[in-house]
Amino acid sequence: MNGDMIAFFILALCAIAGGVMMISSTNVVHMVVSLIFTFLAVAGIYVTLSAEFVAGVQVLIYSGAITIIMLFGIMLTRHDKENEKKTPKLRQFAAGGAILVFFLIMYGKIKDLNFPQGDVELHVDNTKKIGIELYSNYVIPFELMSVLLLVALIGAVVLAKKDEKEEGGGKE
Amino acid sequence: MMNDLLHSQPGWYNAAVFFVMGAVLLLVVLGFVTYAILAERKVLGFIQLRPGPNRVGGKLGLLQTVADVFKLLIKEDTIPKLADKPLFILAPVLAFSPAFMVLAVMPFTEHVQFADLGVGLLYYVGISGISTIGILIGGWASNNKYSLLGGMRAAAQMISYEIPLVISVVGVILFAGSLNLTDIVEGQKNVAYIFLSPIGFFVFLIASIAELNRTPFDLPEAESELVAGYHVEYSGFRFAFFMLSEYVYLFAMASLTTVLFLGGWNPIPFLEFIPGAVWFALKFSIVVFFMIWIRGTLPRLRADQLMEFAWKVLLPLALLNIFLSAAVKELFLK
Repeated sequence: MNGDMIAFFILALCAIAGGVMMISSTNVVHMVVSLIFTFLAVAGIYVTLSAEFVAGVQVLIYSGAITIIMLFGIMLTRHDKENEKKTPKLRQFAAGGAILVFFLIMYGKIKDLNFPQGDVELHVDNTKKIGIELYSNYVIPFELMSVLLLVALIGAVVLAKKDEKEEGGGKE
Repeated sequence: MMNDLLHSQPGWYNAAVFFVMGAVLLLVVLGFVTYAILAERKVLGFIQLRPGPNRVGGKLGLLQTVADVFKLLIKEDTIPKLADKPLFILAPVLAFSPAFMVLAVMPFTEHVQFADLGVGLLYYVGISGISTIGILIGGWASNNKYSLLGGMRAAAQMISYEIPLVISVVGVILFAGSLNLTDIVEGQKNVAYIFLSPIGFFVFLIASIAELNRTPFDLPEAESELVAGYHVEYSGFRFAFFMLSEYVYLFAMASLTTVLFLGGWNPIPFLEFIPGAVWFALKFSIVVFFMIWIRGTLPRLRADQLMEFAWKVLLPLALLNIFLSAAVKELFLK
């Protein structure tokens, strides 16, 4: 039991607890807050795996993304009534059984999984290495991703623009 | 010194040292906050041709903030009946703790730094984004329309201005070739990055004032429109925490501006005999004074102007800055 293990267990516990709370709560804002805990804990696990860059980007992207989700949650859902539908007993048991089978399969596979000893120098200059890899071996997928994002950006602009025009037309 | 400690064997002694160091930093920051508030009120007073606080603690009002904070601490802590209680309690924590966490990577001088992270700049930007969530949760959990409006405004504003803020520092990263804050300061030995990417500095300064929710970008707490903004329902020490996080961010942001653009602890040529800490403090104080000056001078923006300014002015300028920085680096610094 070394420090790495303790950190991993605490972070993993936070991640799982966040996930469980997310599923079990009925209030949409509570769900989003539990999601934050999961994402932050996952970022912490990245740090223990010497992937600080990924952790930083994870926090940077998801803190913004979660805020947006929360805004949508507040604006687009109803808060005045809580619609709780009872799921039938049979379906609950079926879902429980499926989860159990899934867990057993995953556990068995993960237990047998054997990684070869990786690079021990992972934590040295890894940001630089990511950059070099991205711009040498993976430059085409990287550029394709950027084009995809650009298309999404322009698409969003076009959609927003169109909306405005129609509204303007309606007023006239 | 801190780095040696971080690389040594973990143990109870080291843990105690870390704890004491953290506590000392917290005390320094609290001291800064106390006198930053006083300085702000004094400077605003001078700008508006009035003396400012001058009763408590001598002619200069040196104990005014101490008295104010004491008042806040002994105030009754009220939680509205219809508020979402757990989130109401969680919100000030989520708003404050990132503000203090970002200070861990800040290199104040060559030797005074807590964690020399390889991705220091990214860490700062990422962690500081969590505060937005705290503010939004606070606004929502209060169950008050004014605070909800304040929280919504804060979220929209901070997300919009985070983008030019991050993009404007890409120029600095290009010049330094590193995300590490110490490396960035070392890279400014000869010339500070404010001279190499002035557009970047301009965009960064404006976006950082917006991120700090200070006038002219203080729409989340526009008292003439929203009563008090996202913290309407907060009182006592919970309110103090929101206030504190705002001023700790002022500390952090002024430090970051100093480190990224003004050369950190590097001296001005021919004045090398003055120690680095003094230089850092000097540049830092200039940035803080500038922020207070802006607050005393400019009126508040309208919400639509605010968004247009971020997306139509600052973002293109920041992108242009990346292009120019790359060109400057290729042509002159090779």
